[in-house]
Amino acid sequence: MTESWGQFKSFESKKFKALDPKFTAEVCKLTGGQDLTTCFQCAKCSAGCPVSDKVNIQIHEVMRMLVFGLTEVLQTDMIWLCTTCYTCQERCPQGIDITDILFGLKNMAYRKGIAPSGYVTSAKALYDVGKLYSPTEWEREDLGLDDVPELDVSETKKMLNKTKLLKLQEGM
Amino acid sequence: MTQSYEVFLGCAIPSRFNNYESSMRAVAKELGIKLIDFDGASCCGTVVLKSIDEHSWLSMGGRNLALAEQRGHDIVTPCNGCFGSLKDTAHVLHDKKQLKAVNKVLLGLGLEYTGKVKVRHFVEVLYDLKDEIAKKIVKPLDGLKIAFHPGCHLIRPSNVAEFDDPELPGKVDELLELTGAKSVSWGLKLKCCGSPLLIANEDIATEILREKMKSAKEAGANCVVTNCPACHTQFDVQAIGIKDENDESLELPALFITQILGLAMGLDSEQIGFELNRVPLDPISDILGL
Repeated sequence: MTESWGQFKSFESKKFKALDPKFTAEVCKLTGGQDLTTCFQCAKCSAGCPVSDKVNIQIHEVMRMLVFGLTEVLQTDMIWLCTTCYTCQERCPQGIDITDILFGLKNMAYRKGIAPSGYVTSAKALYDVGKLYSPTEWEREDLGLDDVPELDVSETKKMLNKTKLLKLQEGM
Repeated sequence: MTQSYEVFLGCAIPSRFNNYESSMRAVAKELGIKLIDFDGASCCGTVVLKSIDEHSWLSMGGRNLALAEQRGHDIVTPCNGCFGSLKDTAHVLHDKKQLKAVNKVLLGLGLEYTGKVKVRHFVEVLYDLKDEIAKKIVKPLDGLKIAFHPGCHLIRPSNVAEFDDPELPGKVDELLELTGAKSVSWGLKLKCCGSPLLIANEDIATEILREKMKSAKEAGANCVVTNCPACHTQFDVQAIGIKDENDESLELPALFITQILGLAMGLDSEQIGFELNRVPLDPISDILGL
């Protein structure tokens, strides 16, 4: 199966139909997005990024696409190959919360069905079990560890019903 | 004075690294840190959920924070992922609008979060007790050359983590060197381990790990030490069989900080749980006295 993400591979011979100021404004409203338009393309973010040499579109290019209002940014591989290490955010001379903006972009892409399949599986697991992994009982017994305190899953389910976690991709 | 915390284990430790929990509990007991079980803990929130939906992430983390707050306890966690996620949640919830939206969800569970809980990493608590730890070292680990990997969310973003210098951290290294071991400086020490990419692209996660291991080897380290189960998954699970371009093995024994401290403090070896470390410890077994 071809993954739905990372389809935007290069700027080469790319023509953009429209620059969408509404999209830029929308991204500015994300958590961490308030200083987005102060980016002056020093590329310090990409210089410290652990996947700069592994992605088609680097993080400083993502930032430029956002200022230009190019919604194609949601199709770049940088969005989902961000390791969330926060080095770019830590070093940005303009104080832009770059990593946090990427989380917001991931949220947008996810709703459009543009996400690695592992995230869809994880959303289901978090809903069903309230956790990502279950304890390995025999190891705990060997080490004399007590049982992990129980979680009443109906509580987290109730909460995630309210936030509509499993319905985010409806209407895509 | 006895310190007490609700201990937030997260999902990965009880699943994959029970030796981390066991050694942490042994060290905590020796130092008089009281760890109270965290009743009703769910997933911390995690960057996975933050990537999917911010509101669900804040609600998941907010519920955990509210539970501890209701019981009047601060939180300690040995996991960088839980530490980063819970602290980040608390940070975002300084915003009144976000807090209101989360409390609307929590109200359905009879909970409310008001922002009173402190979240600490277990190594932060240890750092406060470094003088006591120094007095308790009975078995020096001379000859151990550690490539210490702090991991990202312990130190970045620094305005959220509030623990150590994000570009030149040294606090955990200080703790490790109390044992007589040497924390070597290595080129890619602060680079991400690649673990968060296991969900999206395992090949790239492995490539990052390979770069890290090469750097650790070049610096002359004879083991890697972490304070995070997500990073440890890279160094003690994914690293098995890893080789460089000349087909030379890049494996290094991978240990948790609490195993190093526990051993040097002369604690019960069963609780330190070395038999659960996956990469063979043979290259350093003499130094460890195994």
